[in-house]
Amino acid sequence: MSTHVATISNVAGTPAAGSTHSVGSAANKALVLGLVGLAATGLGVVISGKAAAFSYLTGLVFWVAVSLGALFLIMIHHVFDAGWSTVLRRQYENWITCLPWLGLLFAPLLISAVVAPGVIWKWTDPAYDLSQVGGHGTVAQDVLWVKKSGLLSTMTLIIASFVGFGGWTLISSRLRAHSVAQDTDGNISHTHANRFWTAVGLPFTALSMTLCVILWVKALDYHWYSTMFGVWFFAGAIRSALSLGVILMVWLWSRGDYKGIMNNNHMHSIGMLMFAFTVFWAYITFSQYFLIYMANIPEETFWYSLREINKDGVFNTWGYVGMFLLFGHFVAPFLTLIHYPVKLSKTWLPRVGAFIATVVLVDMTYNVMPSLKNSSGDAYPFLSLNLLWIATSVVGVGGVCVWAYLNSFAKTKLIPIRDPRIVESLTYHE
Amino acid sequence: MAATFYGLMARFDTAPDIYHAAQQVRDAGYKNWDCITPFPVHGLDGAMGLRRSNVPKFSLIGGLTGFTTGMSMIWFTGAFDYPLIVGGKPYFSPLFAFPISYELTILFTAFATIAGMFILNWLPQHYHPVLKSKEILRGLDDAFYVVIEARDPKFDLNRAKALLSQAGAKEISELEA
Repeated sequence: MSTHVATISNVAGTPAAGSTHSVGSAANKALVLGLVGLAATGLGVVISGKAAAFSYLTGLVFWVAVSLGALFLIMIHHVFDAGWSTVLRRQYENWITCLPWLGLLFAPLLISAVVAPGVIWKWTDPAYDLSQVGGHGTVAQDVLWVKKSGLLSTMTLIIASFVGFGGWTLISSRLRAHSVAQDTDGNISHTHANRFWTAVGLPFTALSMTLCVILWVKALDYHWYSTMFGVWFFAGAIRSALSLGVILMVWLWSRGDYKGIMNNNHMHSIGMLMFAFTVFWAYITFSQYFLIYMANIPEETFWYSLREINKDGVFNTWGYVGMFLLFGHFVAPFLTLIHYPVKLSKTWLPRVGAFIATVVLVDMTYNVMPSLKNSSGDAYPFLSLNLLWIATSVVGVGGVCVWAYLNSFAKTKLIPIRDPRIVESLTYHE
Repeated sequence: MAATFYGLMARFDTAPDIYHAAQQVRDAGYKNWDCITPFPVHGLDGAMGLRRSNVPKFSLIGGLTGFTTGMSMIWFTGAFDYPLIVGGKPYFSPLFAFPISYELTILFTAFATIAGMFILNWLPQHYHPVLKSKEILRGLDDAFYVVIEARDPKFDLNRAKALLSQAGAKEISELEA
C-alpha cells in the first residue's frame, strides 16, 4: 500500500499544488454579509418579535440541514469505502467546519428558552397560556404535554442541543483532521481512523439529529405525532448537501481548479444521487401524509389541517405552499433529473441544485412557520414580513457558513492527494 | 448448396487495437457492423459511434402505463364498478390510489425495460453466423473481433478487407450465413 500511496501523490500532486487559493477577500465579504444578515434579523426581533425568532429558527435549521447532509455524505463515503466521490469529499470536509459556528448561532435560541420561556417552544414554560394560540388552559394542564413531559423540557432541549452540536463538531473535526493529515504523510492509518469515526458517527449523528429536530422543529406543535419526521429531515439534509456539492463542483470547474480532476462521470453520479433522493424525499413525505390521512386521528391530522384550511374552513396560503412542495420538490426535479443530458450539463445541474436547495428552505418554512398561530388557532399567512426575516436569517447564517468554508478551503489542498482511492476517483468512469 | 456470404471477421489482439480499429470503421461510414470483445471495453460505444440506447423510451411508456393502470383500477373498482365507502374516505382520491399506482409504475417500467432490451437486441437469438466460426471461442477468451456485414450498403469485399488490415487486423476471415 505504501508504494501505491507514493505513486499517486506524484500523479495527483500537480493539479492540487497548482491550484490558486485566492479566496481570502471572498471569505471576508461572506463574513461581513453574514453579520449584516444577522444584524438585520436582530432588527427583525425588535420589529416582529416572536415571528422573527421563528424565522431565525427556519433559516438556522436550513443550514444545519445542509451541513449535517455534508457530514452524512462524508461518512457514507467512508462507510462504503467509496471511490468516485474522493475528489469531492474534500469540499464537504471544508464545509463542515461551520458546524461549531452553527452551534454558537443556535445558542441565542436556547438562551431565549431560559430567559423568556414559551416564546419559541411553548412547553419550555409550563404556565404558558394556550388561549393565545386558540387552545385553552395552560401547558401544564395539557394532558398531551404531561404525558410527553419527560422529553419536552428545557433541560432536555439544552442537553440535546449541546450533545448534538458537540458530537457533530467532534466527529466532523476528526474526519477532516485525519483527511488533511493524510495529504502530508500519506499514512493509511488516517483512512482507518476515519472509518472508525464513521462507524461511531453514523449512528450517533442519525440519532442525535432525529432527537434535535424533533425538539427544535416537530415539538413546536407538541401535540403532533409523526414517526417519519427524522427521516424527512434527513432526506432534506442530503438533498440540500448534494445540491451544495454540485454547485461547488461546477464553481471549482469554472474557476479552473477542477480541470482534469472532474469529468462527466462525476456529474452523472452526483446527478443520479440527486434524483434518487428526490424520490426518497417524496416517498418519506408522502408516507407521512398518507399514514396521517388514512388513520384520521385528530392529534395527527390537525398538523396538516393547520397548513391547509383556517378554522372557518377557508383555504389558506399554506395550502398553496403544500401544493408547491408536491410539484416543486418532487414532480419538477423528478421530471428534470430523469433526463440523462441534464445530469451531465454544467449549466443545468447546478441550476436544478440551486432550485432544490431553495425548495428545501420552503419545506423548512412549511414545517416551522405555521406553528406560529394567532389567537383563533390559525396559522399566520405565508406571505408576510416573516419571509424577509427568513431571508435575512438565511443570508446571515449562510454567510457565516460560507466564510467557514472558504477559510478552510484556503488552508487545505483541493483534493485529498494521498487518499488510497484518489487515482480511482481521478480516472473515474462508469 | 453454396453457403451465402455473411461478412468479414477481423481479429485484433489488444483492447487499444480494437478501439482504434472501431474508430476507423466508424469513420468509413459503415452501419451494419459490430465488435466482439471478451469483456466490456470502456469507451468502445463512443469509438463505434453508437448513440444512446432507445430502451428509456420503452421504460417511459411502461411507467406511464403502470401509473395510469393503477389510478384507473382504483377508480374503476372503488368509484365506478362497486362504490363503497371505506373509512369515511371519498370513493376515489389520487391519495390512496397513489401507492398502487407507484408500485405498478415500477413494475411496468421494469417489464418494459427488460422487454425493450430484448426487442432492441433481437433477443432471444439462438443462431448467429459468427457462432459458426471457431474464432468465436477466442472472442470469449483473449481476442477482439470486428465483424462487418455484407448487407451494409457501403460494403465492398476488397475495400472492407483493405480497411481492416490497414486498421491493424491480425487475421481476417470470411463468415458464412
